[in-house]
Parts: sequence; structure tokens; C-alpha cells
Amino acid sequence: SVQARKEDKPQKTMEINGLTPVPDTYDYDLIVIGGGSGGLAAAKEAAKYEKKVMVLDFVKPTPQGSSWGLGGTCVNVGCIPKKLMHQAALLGQALQDSRKFGWQFTEEVKHNWMTMTESVQNYIGSLNWGYRVALRDNKVTYENAYGEFVGPHTIKATNKKGVEKLYTAERFLIATGERPRYLGIPGDKEYCISSDDLFSLPYCPGKTLVVGASYVALECAGFLAGLGLDVTVMVRSILLRGFDQDMANKIGEYMKEHGVNFIREFVPTKVEQLEEGTPGRLKVTAKSTTGDQIIEGEYNTVLLAIGRDPCTRKIGLDKVGVNINEKTGKIPVSDEEQTNVPYIYAIGDILQDKLELTPVAIQAGRLLVRRLYAGATTKCDYVNVPTTVFTPLEYGACGYSEETAVEKFGEENIEVYHSHFWPLEWTVPSRDNNKCYAKIICNIQDNERVIGFHVLGPNAGEVTQGFAAAIKCGMTKEQLDNTVGIHPVCAEV
Amino acid sequence: MGWEEVQVCGYDEFVRTAQRYHGRPIFALFCGDKDAEGKSWCPDCVTAEPVVRKELHNLPDESVFIYCLVGDRAYWKDPNNEFRRNLKLTGVPTLLKYGTPQKLVEEECFKAELVRMLFTED
Repeated sequence: SVQARKEDKPQKTMEINGLTPVPDTYDYDLIVIGGGSGGLAAAKEAAKYEKKVMVLDFVKPTPQGSSWGLGGTCVNVGCIPKKLMHQAALLGQALQDSRKFGWQFTEEVKHNWMTMTESVQNYIGSLNWGYRVALRDNKVTYENAYGEFVGPHTIKATNKKGVEKLYTAERFLIATGERPRYLGIPGDKEYCISSDDLFSLPYCPGKTLVVGASYVALECAGFLAGLGLDVTVMVRSILLRGFDQDMANKIGEYMKEHGVNFIREFVPTKVEQLEEGTPGRLKVTAKSTTGDQIIEGEYNTVLLAIGRDPCTRKIGLDKVGVNINEKTGKIPVSDEEQTNVPYIYAIGDILQDKLELTPVAIQAGRLLVRRLYAGATTKCDYVNVPTTVFTPLEYGACGYSEETAVEKFGEENIEVYHSHFWPLEWTVPSRDNNKCYAKIICNIQDNERVIGFHVLGPNAGEVTQGFAAAIKCGMTKEQLDNTVGIHPVCAEV
Repeated sequence: MGWEEVQVCGYDEFVRTAQRYHGRPIFALFCGDKDAEGKSWCPDCVTAEPVVRKELHNLPDESVFIYCLVGDRAYWKDPNNEFRRNLKLTGVPTLLKYGTPQKLVEEECFKAELVRMLFTED
């Protein structure tokens, strides 16, 4: 039994089980579980319609002890620190290029990990604070507590001191996001770090092994190498599964030529500590996926980036009957983000078969709330969502990959137009002249409508955003040809 | 031990005072100078000060509350003054928890709820 404490309605000890009557007045109109991109956007939107909203956000510390404030993955251990550190690496490259443009400095340029990390964490701290001010200002109740369902319309919130409180709501929104997966091999939790730890690591990681071939793995490997560290990426099979493989291979090639080592077709089998320290020394043993070969390597840091798992297994979904995909933990929802339980909704990375992106979660959250409380009907459009991978050579994409287009429309019905280009800014410092690349995939049967856009080059995100809008408007190849280019920029290609 | 208030004028005195209390939670309210009648040239500061003072009893034990007059209007308007340059202040009034990114600026200081949150929450 659980002690219930409500502000103005003190109650005796309450037995929560299947016979518990559903309360007919609720503490809140909406309780949001998870204070990340999706959760916060939805909460703030609901407050605009004068709904009584609560946000529960809680971060279970990593095996290494890392934790963070309000804002979710993107703000704390995702997009924001990633892009800042990617920028730090790009600036290092720019310093090298600058000599060819006439800047003179005699010292060797070195990088200080602590200076960068402190600045990044300081900025993140201001974002955490900003969210708390925004919630309070919008009269959204925020509790730094772990939320779990205990019965119909009822949630238990446990704070870091272990104090439990019960709350009821008319509706719930699950936006708990994901956390990095571990390998399940000896030494993984004791000695390895994940992206949850990397962006606040209080010491320079040194010689690093990145395990994985996801965009997280390649982006992290990319900026660590760009900061001057010795980086190796261990890949089980292919790079960037789910992305256009032609582009994925080009990204890999570029990284290889620019100092990142790749070990292909191996998986780690154990991690042992040779020496403690910040960083220490670790020994990694790995086995080939194609034969019996065993290899060993020594690194200061092992960063695991093999995937992320939804936080849906320990939030009491079974108590309220919400279905999840048992294998993946993801939650299937209707096109209105409703789970199989009518008063429980879900958004963000935990959704089955939807894109794991901050802007998607935000859009889904806002539109859902408008449908619930403002009579709107617009549903979130998950088609033609642009993305960018911030590897050393950035990759922006919108729409179909070449493989998926071929699969859906047939090879004879699509036309691919492509081109290498040499950014003007790269000419003087003699940087690669045949690495930047762009291609569009067109549907011949539909007026050569552009159904896929891919670009590999500097500022890929900025370039892709505009083209995403054009694709949403149904741009055809002819219209693209008739658009005069801006010169001299990469996007004119 | 409760909390205590220290009143300072100008950047140098502020920095010396903050250093003196290093190790204790430090909260600071920055306002425009007051004239002979005790009225500040900064109208928002006039509004904010009583709101902030009313919440001071919520300060954690051992805290130091530094009430800092930044200077006259001309000094404040200078985009290179030391408060802007070194403390990254963007406006007055500013209420902040020293050494953290937590702060309230201008109209945010009028809201008792936000002031209380700054004083009492982590």
C-alpha cells in the first residue's frame, strides 16, 4: 500500500490495485512524464490553454555517476553539446586553414578539453535554468521526480530522497525518451562511458575507442579526432544503418582519410582495466564477426554508441495496460499519438516507427495538445523530415535514400542527379577537391518530383533546411533547374 | 546562522565582497544608483526591489545577499562597463545566484514566484 498525500485532501493509507475506483476529479488536466524536447513543448502549449499541467523529469545517473538537469537528452547530452563540440573541432581545422589565408601565428595550436567542457556545461546550465523559469512562469508544476503508473489515472512520483507522492490526472503524456545501450560484456558498465558521460567528462578522454557505427558514434569519433585525439571506431557491420549507404560510405572514407582509424567487422568481448586514472588505461578484447580472429587494443577511454533503448520498461505501463513492443520497448501509437489506452499519449524517441529527432517530438507535442485542448485537427507530418549528421564532413538529407527509393518505386522509375563540388573556401588551403557531394533522387513517373535530397559538405544542415521546404511543396527537377543559383556558395550546385 | 546582507557600490567592491564570502551561497541584486531622495534612475529596479526583499526570508542558511548599486545611468549604458563585460549582465535589475547560470533579469524580478524559486531550489 502507498501513502497518498494531496495538498488539500489528506487521505489515509490507500490500497492501489485493480479494484481502485477511478477518481472523478483529478489533481491535473495533464501530467507529462519526461521533461525533454517533446515533454516540455507539450507542457508549455497546454499551459497556454489554461490547463493544469505537471511535468515530472528525473535522470537516473549513469553507471559512471553522470546526471543532468531539466531539458532532456537534446539539451544535456545530445544535439546541443554535440554541435558545440563539433564546432570546437571545426574551429581547430579553421585555425589550420587560416595560415594559408595569411594569418600568422608561431605557436602550435593546442586544445584544452576542460576549457571547452566547462563552457559547454555552463551554457547547458543556463538552458536548464531557462526551462525552469519558463515552466514556472507558465504555471506548469515541475517536480524532479521519477514517475511511474500505479493504477488508472494515477502516478507515483519518487524524488531523489526517496519521498513518494501520488498524483492523478485526466490525461497523461509519456515522453521519457531513451538511454544508451550497453554491450552486456564484462567490464562494460564498470569501465566504459557513453554519450551520457562524454559531454561532461571532467578529464580529457585521450586515446579513445568508439564502439558503434551510429550517427552518435561517428559524430563523437569525428569531433574527438578533430580535437587532436587518437580515435578508433569499431564497427560490427555497416555504417549509419538506415541512412543512404552511398553517402554513409563517403562519410566513412572521409573520416578515415582524416585520421580516424576504423576496425571493421569486430565486436568487443571484454573490457579490462590496466590502470586507474583520469583517464586510466583499458584493454579491449574483440572478436571478428566473420571468423575466429581475436584482437586486443589499449585505450584511455572506451565510448559505447551502439544504440539507445526507450525508457518504457520501468514506468508501470503494465499497471495501466499500455502496450509496448516487448522486443524493442517502443510504444506503438495511432497517427494522433494515442496509445491503446485512450487517456494515455506518447511522443518523441520512444515511438515505434517514427523519427528520433527533437523537432519531430516538439512538433508532435504541440500539435497533440492543440488537438486535445484547442479543437485543432492537424496531425504531425512525419514525411520528408530533414536531418543532418554532424560528422567532420557534414551530411544533410531529406526524403528517400537511394536504396529506399529503388525499393519503393523501382530502379527504372527513379533518376538520380549528382555532382561533386569543391567549396570555394577549401580551394586556397588546398583541402580535398573531390569529397563534397550532392545528389537528388527524382520520381520519373511524377514529373520528376524530387523525392530525395542528399548533400555532403560544410554547413550541410543550413543548406538542407531550405530544400526540405521545397520538397514539402512538391518541387520537381525542372523547377529546381529553373531556380538560379547563389554564387559562390555550395548550395548552388 | 540564517542569512546576511551586504551593500556595495560599484564593480570592484562587488568582486572583493564576493571573494570574501567564497564558499557560502551568494545571491546578488544589481540596481541603478539612487539619488539623494533614495530613488533609483532605473524604474524597473524601483519595482523589483520590494518584491525581492519580501522573499529574502526564503534564503538558505549561511547565504549572503549582496545588494549592489552599479553606477549612474551613463555608466550603465556604456556597453563596455565591467558588469556587462565580466559578469555578463545584460540589464538592471538583475538578481542572480553567483557562480551559477541561474539568474532573473528585468521583469522576471517582479515575479515573487520566480524570486522564491531562485532562492530556494537547486
